[in-house]
Amino acid sequence: MDFGFTEEQEMLRTMARDFLTKECPKSKVRELEKDEKGYDPQMWRSMAELGWMGLVFSEEYGGINANFIDLVVLMEEMGRNILPGPFFSTIALCALSILEFGTKEQKSNFLPRIAKGEAIWTLALIEPSASYKASEINLSASSEGDNYVLQGEKIFVADAHIANYLLVVARTGKGKTPEEGVTLFVVNAEAPALKMERIPTMAGDRQFQIVFNKVKVSKGDVLGTVGNGWRIVDFILQRAAVLKCAEISGACQAVLDMTNTYAKERIQFDRPIGSFQAVQHKLADMLIDVEAIQFLVYQAACGISEGEPSQFQISVAKAKASEAYQKICIDGVTAHGAIGFTWDHDIGLYYRRVRAAEFAAGDIDLHRERVAIELRL
Amino acid sequence: MDFRLSEKEKTLVEEIANFAKKELPEDFVGAHLIDQEFRDFEFEISMSKKLAQKGWLVMSWPKEYGGQGASLMEQTVYEMEVAYWGIPGAWMGISGTQWVGPCLMLFGTEEQRQKYLPLIASGDKDGVWCTGYSEPNAGSDLANLQTRAVRDGDYYIINGQKVWTSKAQHSRWCWLMTRTDSTAGKKHRGLSLVIVDMETPGVTVNPILNYYGRHHFNEVFFDNVKVPASNLVGEENRGWYHLMQALAFERRSVAPLAYGSSRRMLENLVKYINETQHEGKFLNQIPAVRHKLAEMAIDVEIVKLFAYQFIWRVTQGAIPAYESSRNKIMGDDVIRRVATSGAEILGIYSQVDPDSKWARLRGAIQGAYLGFPGSMIAAGTAEVEKSIIAQFKLGLPKSY
Repeated sequence: MDFGFTEEQEMLRTMARDFLTKECPKSKVRELEKDEKGYDPQMWRSMAELGWMGLVFSEEYGGINANFIDLVVLMEEMGRNILPGPFFSTIALCALSILEFGTKEQKSNFLPRIAKGEAIWTLALIEPSASYKASEINLSASSEGDNYVLQGEKIFVADAHIANYLLVVARTGKGKTPEEGVTLFVVNAEAPALKMERIPTMAGDRQFQIVFNKVKVSKGDVLGTVGNGWRIVDFILQRAAVLKCAEISGACQAVLDMTNTYAKERIQFDRPIGSFQAVQHKLADMLIDVEAIQFLVYQAACGISEGEPSQFQISVAKAKASEAYQKICIDGVTAHGAIGFTWDHDIGLYYRRVRAAEFAAGDIDLHRERVAIELRL
Repeated sequence: MDFRLSEKEKTLVEEIANFAKKELPEDFVGAHLIDQEFRDFEFEISMSKKLAQKGWLVMSWPKEYGGQGASLMEQTVYEMEVAYWGIPGAWMGISGTQWVGPCLMLFGTEEQRQKYLPLIASGDKDGVWCTGYSEPNAGSDLANLQTRAVRDGDYYIINGQKVWTSKAQHSRWCWLMTRTDSTAGKKHRGLSLVIVDMETPGVTVNPILNYYGRHHFNEVFFDNVKVPASNLVGEENRGWYHLMQALAFERRSVAPLAYGSSRRMLENLVKYINETQHEGKFLNQIPAVRHKLAEMAIDVEIVKLFAYQFIWRVTQGAIPAYESSRNKIMGDDVIRRVATSGAEILGIYSQVDPDSKWARLRGAIQGAYLGFPGSMIAAGTAEVEKSIIAQFKLGLPKSY
């Protein structure tokens, strides 16, 4: 049993914290909410130079061969600071699966460009039924000569407006189970038959509806094998769930720190409000939840890193993190009083991100159900 | 970072499982699993002896005091498994293995260690301890205690009353917190820890029944009780600081126990839900029931990780402070969730007397349900623990 980080991980955390504090202050976060692109290309290049995009790639693909736990450390810092942009879409939702399931050619073609910060990717998975079930994948891919033709609709595709490539989850056939017949395609985001419309969100992040109207994809642009794509989706969702938890973990720590500082400064009844037990106990509850999230995330990340079956640990972490993130933000905002409800205060930036985080890679109920299944119910 | 048990720890888990299957009656796990009501003291102490013979009872103590020099992590794993299997007799009263022994090793005299540690380690009746902290006017505000020990030559003369003293009726020794200096000004100064032989004239133990009629705790009166001055533990008048250490040991032990017993309850409930029909379908087909179990499993994981992380901190040379309060709160919360959600799942049968033939799961849920409010109070209420976290971890002003 070892809860410690390696020296490299501690260094990575410090480096990430310093970089983000300097390059991405809250004023920048606010600016990017209004910016057309929603991210800062120059910051993106600097992140690539620091090795963040290629963190878990081998050197062969321009990476630095770090492990999944290192990535969790990095994501915690991104969540703590709030980093707008396509890191999660590109790395968590796409690059990890290319690394695992891509052909040699796909890996050499795609990964070094991701590592250099030259390519942005995103995953097109959710359809209008808003479900993570294989049975809800209806976007069809029909074979026509050397191509597949994609027809259908995806919603809540993050960062699609700046993506160079989309990883599209489509149905190529029907099998005995809904999982059979699902295929993943690499689609050039500039394909003409592809129509995007932004879905305005409370977080001010970039999410899109994409309509595929006879989008042609070469048969060589399949990730994995035709009809067996659902196991890749499972792989993606497992890792994305843990990395989203890491982001939540960092965000919750930030909200706790912010609220604790405020409780010491704000004077009412001639003393700091943090001297009142009602406020203290709220903060103590927040701390317990923050540490619970941290350890659950690290446990799940270690399982993945060791290649052990980790669905139980992953779903426990995501269900808890999603639930506690909301609670911590609400307690944080209300402990601040009216100032916490204002546009100018930073705590609202975290609260407005709760909804997307809860749904990402499976909401609370989905993961509770997964836990129930893992308990053999 | 690594969350796996070592091979040695895994072997220990297996050995304890084999031991429990061999030594405990079949279907032993029942109402006592969580409320720790081992109503048969002779059986309990016979199990203490067996645990001692196995080398487990005080496994992390040094060999010279009857231990095995095992790691704290191994001891934690052992405690978790003992709670999982509901093995009675592991604590030598309420306090022997958990805080009397560790405290004597930290600040007892060598003479005290030689005398008391092997008694605890042997699993003998003479190694059973109760703890005398609470008094009628000293609960959460423990420093308000009034029991007095007055020095008289080579002796202390003790007068006063303790209350809620668990297992005093079976204990040979009392780990007593008493006032030794009434002029010290601040009330937490002038306190001392003293060992009292419960067979000394002037010690009277009266039972107090809890709200479900069990005799778990007592009131203990001290009427001119004459105790050798050499029974003072640590420094005279610095008992408060020793007490903080003892309480940290006590609160630490909550999480491993809560993890072991809640994991067992969870498994038993999974089995029950998979086998039980209601309104024409199995309980496992009802989403609300499935989600209750999932929520339990999440809390069980958290308390496990808190327990491990605490020990890991100790092995790193840290002296955990707020973590024991955190673990106490989480340990209580998980048992509460198992008890209340479990009771909701049992439905109409949740009201049945745990000992009755009508009880489901051998009364384990009812036992937990009746018992958990008591555990939540023992060793510090959630309110006290949260105030400790606020003060010592979050740096907020003292609020009590």
